[in-house]
Amino acid sequence: MGVPTVPMITQRFKELVTTISYKKGIPNMRITYTPHPITDRPADLCRKYVAGNDPLTGQPMLEEIYAGLTKPLSAEDSKAGFLERDPRPRLLPPDTPDNLMEYFYEQGFTDGNPIILPTEKKVAEMLKATSRKPDEWVGQMRPSPPHEAWYYTVEMVAVNAVMAGAKPEYFPTILAIASKGLTSMFSSTSSFARMVVVNGPVVKEIGMNTGIGAMGPVSRANSSIGRCWTLISKNLGGSGKPGETYLGSQGNPLNYDNLCFPETEDGLPPGWNPLHVQKGFKKSDSVVSLFSGWSINDIAWYSPLPIHEVIRGWLEHFFSFGTTQATLVLDPIVAADVASKGYPSKEAFAKYLAENTGTPGWLYWSQHPNELKQAKEGVEPYAGWLKQGQGMVVPVSRYTRAGGRVSRNTAFMASKDNNEPTTSIEIVVTGGGTNTFWSGGDFGYAGSASVDQWR
Amino acid sequence: MKTRAVWLVLLIAGFAAAIGRAADERIVVFNPRGIQPEIRKIPMAPRFATLDGKTVYIVDTKYPNTKPFVEELFAALKAKYPKTTWILRDKAAGYMDDDPNLWKEIKSKNAGAIVLLGH
Repeated sequence: MGVPTVPMITQRFKELVTTISYKKGIPNMRITYTPHPITDRPADLCRKYVAGNDPLTGQPMLEEIYAGLTKPLSAEDSKAGFLERDPRPRLLPPDTPDNLMEYFYEQGFTDGNPIILPTEKKVAEMLKATSRKPDEWVGQMRPSPPHEAWYYTVEMVAVNAVMAGAKPEYFPTILAIASKGLTSMFSSTSSFARMVVVNGPVVKEIGMNTGIGAMGPVSRANSSIGRCWTLISKNLGGSGKPGETYLGSQGNPLNYDNLCFPETEDGLPPGWNPLHVQKGFKKSDSVVSLFSGWSINDIAWYSPLPIHEVIRGWLEHFFSFGTTQATLVLDPIVAADVASKGYPSKEAFAKYLAENTGTPGWLYWSQHPNELKQAKEGVEPYAGWLKQGQGMVVPVSRYTRAGGRVSRNTAFMASKDNNEPTTSIEIVVTGGGTNTFWSGGDFGYAGSASVDQWR
Repeated sequence: MKTRAVWLVLLIAGFAAAIGRAADERIVVFNPRGIQPEIRKIPMAPRFATLDGKTVYIVDTKYPNTKPFVEELFAALKAKYPKTTWILRDKAAGYMDDDPNLWKEIKSKNAGAIVLLGH
């Protein structure tokens, strides 16, 4: 900014702010810390905090701020130039396999589970699965927008593919994921998750599981490709160091393999396009599509209602951190049941859902303070809705983009590309058809990439 | 019979030694890390000799439900340092968005800034 500045941060984020200020080139930034948390604290407690000391330095808070704006700079503070970084050797010093495995754990190179050590022989075998040169750039990735981006080559992705246990034939799919530059371990306190759906001929070519247990740990291809995204995110994208480049308060178990599965294209009802065709690719293309969200529910429930109405009811009352986007993962027999009720395409079903879901009153009012204010002032239709109580379903959909209201979570996602849908509901079909079960969650589409261009 | 037993013992010992050698063998593996960008150091802005007669913006990044703290800080600074002009301003848009116009305004007034807060 070029003016004397003192940022104030809650004490819980000391490691984060120390790391970021160093990486931004201001290692001696004068920061005043407050107790943590500050959110939802009453004014009288805040008054005590302000009158008290910085909990980390022990200095009176106001005087520390004053000093931060007035104390003369040191020679080091005024210096330009470059800051030191750890060197990056291409190969690690020779050691025994056991010692190297321990080193990988200690350095945070793994996801906490054993990996395959990336020897020269194994990496060379992986590299044979692409026509791209080892030193070609694949992309850049960062833990979240305030953080720096790291860069990586084809060879570096191959190293992580070996570590994840991938076969060489999975490598173009992994490169396609890496090319999107979207970390699977987004650094937010809210513990993000990611999902990757694979479409096209590559699914059968590499033996991905589209049947029973497609979303579970029963296939080497599904598991290792998904796992590799997290190793890439940690090792090539700089994510995953708790307190510094990962802040998810509770963490998210979906980060282990990122819900990696293929769409069961053979199980799509007539007229329902595969996901990659919806996103502008040809059916003969092989494509990965990435999603961003937090959670997914498996719905195993019998009902006298037709299934499309059950899904509508679930969507209306579904609540998680991501309240304005949803992805449905339907078993092929559920998709067939839905189609038989008069929905000739995924888009038609998504439109029905968006147009026929309201928002539970308590959720609507908590997210629309301006409308709540108007409701209390007697402005219609808000006043009428409020009179009906918190249990009323407000007739405003959370899943339509028609009103110009976009997801409040788009800042956390990669740029949207290809065909922008009119609803924020995505539908994918996968599974083995053992029952009429389906899954739904708060995932939003975050972009697709061609696998073929990485063959 | 005795000769056969001796051979068996030798064979097992040979296997054990081979396994031991493999475990002790030193191998070379790749570094799995990507390339970090260089860090260009930014000189800090010169400080004021005193805040008397100066203007300082208190910039609220508008993280949800932190307003009471921001307002208490504003009130306390005004009371403790009355010779300074304290201006409380909300940053535009969301807490993750930049606000270049506000930074320009602060700079044009040769003011200082306190930027807060999250969580």
